[in-house]
Amino acid sequence: MGSMLGDWPSFDPMNFSQLRPSDPSSPSRMTPVTYCPTHDRCQPPPNQVIASESRNILLRNMYKRTEDKLRSKRPASEILITDQGLKHPRTSTAESPF
Amino acid sequence: MFKSNNVTARIFQRQICTPAPGTSIYSARRFYENIVPSCTIYDVECPDHSFRKFTEDGLYLISFSRNHQDLIVYRPRWPSFSCKEEDCDTHELPPKAKKFEGFFTELYSVSLATSGELICKDFFLYMENNQFGLFATSTAQIHDAPAVGGAVQGVPCVEKITFHLLRMEDGVVLDERVFWSDYVNLAHSMGVFLYDDLLAIVSLRYQRIHILQIRDSGNLVDVRTIGEFCREDDELFLYSSVQSMANPDKSKQLHQMTVNHAANGLHHDRPAGETSFLSGIKQRLLSFIYQGIWNEETDQTLRMQCLKKKFYFHFQDYVDLIIWKVQFLDRHHLLIKFGSVDGGVSRNADNHPAFFAVYNMETTEITAFYQNSTDELYLLFELFCDHFHVSGKNSLYMNFISTHSNNIHNLEQLKSNKNKASSLSQFVKKMLSSLPFSCQSQSPSPYFDQSLFRYDEKLISATDRHRQSTDHPIKFISRRQPNILKFKIKPGPEAGNTDTRSKKISSFLFHPFLPLALSVQQTLFLQPAVVNIHFRR
Repeated sequence: MGSMLGDWPSFDPMNFSQLRPSDPSSPSRMTPVTYCPTHDRCQPPPNQVIASESRNILLRNMYKRTEDKLRSKRPASEILITDQGLKHPRTSTAESPF
Repeated sequence: MFKSNNVTARIFQRQICTPAPGTSIYSARRFYENIVPSCTIYDVECPDHSFRKFTEDGLYLISFSRNHQDLIVYRPRWPSFSCKEEDCDTHELPPKAKKFEGFFTELYSVSLATSGELICKDFFLYMENNQFGLFATSTAQIHDAPAVGGAVQGVPCVEKITFHLLRMEDGVVLDERVFWSDYVNLAHSMGVFLYDDLLAIVSLRYQRIHILQIRDSGNLVDVRTIGEFCREDDELFLYSSVQSMANPDKSKQLHQMTVNHAANGLHHDRPAGETSFLSGIKQRLLSFIYQGIWNEETDQTLRMQCLKKKFYFHFQDYVDLIIWKVQFLDRHHLLIKFGSVDGGVSRNADNHPAFFAVYNMETTEITAFYQNSTDELYLLFELFCDHFHVSGKNSLYMNFISTHSNNIHNLEQLKSNKNKASSLSQFVKKMLSSLPFSCQSQSPSPYFDQSLFRYDEKLISATDRHRQSTDHPIKFISRRQPNILKFKIKPGPEAGNTDTRSKKISSFLFHPFLPLALSVQQTLFLQPAVVNIHFRR
């Protein structure tokens, strides 16, 4: 997707080429594509690419529940509570720099 | 975001403030609190058509002729008139501006139904990015039709159902798809689901889900048919195996039969009773249920007991399940509702057991299976309702309809209903009975946004259904300024109805983004309807 400000003259030709609208419904609001970690406990892996999961959250939940059921014999309600309590480190979550 | 309720102050504030990320549509919608359809033209003189709905992009008003043969499409526009005097606001509207033609221009009228057929006036689906409309015509229903050719006993039969794809700009019929001796639930578009460019048509009679794609050129292309077969080459594999069977005479006989049926051009060409195989989708479903029960126990004896009790005991009930309704969850997944034959055709299916299955069309696997009273599915429905209301990626306004997953007021209402319910499992069943959702059944008008307005949901709501009409106006009260009435919608004549005995029903057509609405009140007899126009003066 081309950047709206990508072609404007600027001191450094690489300026603004990384900008993308953060919110598709208001394309004038631009944020840089890079994401910065909000803590310094560990460094992000180099060349990490963050992309959104193609499957929506409802289907993800359904698949996860089915996989858990087919794997173990925990009752379904227990799986539900455990899911919501745990925080999984996901590479598909984007962290906002602000 | 806005500090003041005054529209001018809000406009000035909008110039300097940016809304919070991801809320630009909601912020823009707040202006609808200031611009409301408060003026009503009662009993407007209009052509005697059945007005169906506005398209989601607001470009067309769809209506059908009373004899169910023609489609008439109007373009909504705004009345314009000039007033020579100084203080015009206090003046009444001139009579020319109060006409139906002042608000709507007729674009064209197309005859869709040939003799013997009628347009199903409850059926209309719109494809926004190409401006294509899908309509349906059908011949009369035949009750007690014999179940031949793989048909399910008990499901009615219609000799010919035709789906017409029209280009809405000029009314040209681009493509048609005919179903012979079949039954598709056309009422309120329940048997058909449109997602982006994919169309799912449920043939109740032959228990098939036809997936079609609407191309940009306007052609309806078959993608796959799910039912007897799941993968595209299942049928080929089965017939080639049958033909290479040991008995050469029998294989010759079957070969002859397939040739005959191919000559007739029928797709469903396996004679009933010839094979004892269950349909492909049924096999997938049964194996999924079996696997789930198998994995519940590790001990072999307990496992067998579990299977006997939960699977084999109910085996025939599972085999007798039929597909009732289908919706897309995304381009690859379908949510299928299964139930008994009686429930599939009756109007009120509440007392019949129902099951939901999520089917992946690409891998042809069942992903999940729930009974309609499970808490698990209800929890997913409560948390992720928006993902059941799928709308195409191109449709802007349809993504902002208030549901209990995106609106706190809806959620509070839901929770209060849940607490008031006498039995939790009955409540869960009632909530889940709305699944799978019918597509395009809700109006995207911001006046139905629960964060902006409070209104009586029994009298009017975003869902386009006929409702019992009252003589009292329906009030829309502001949420943010409690107890301030913003506008009223009153169906029927201004002075009220003189005839209080006959039952009246109302339907409301709201434009998706203009402050314009039509209310149509009709009696159950063939009297002309009373149409009111509600708009902002």
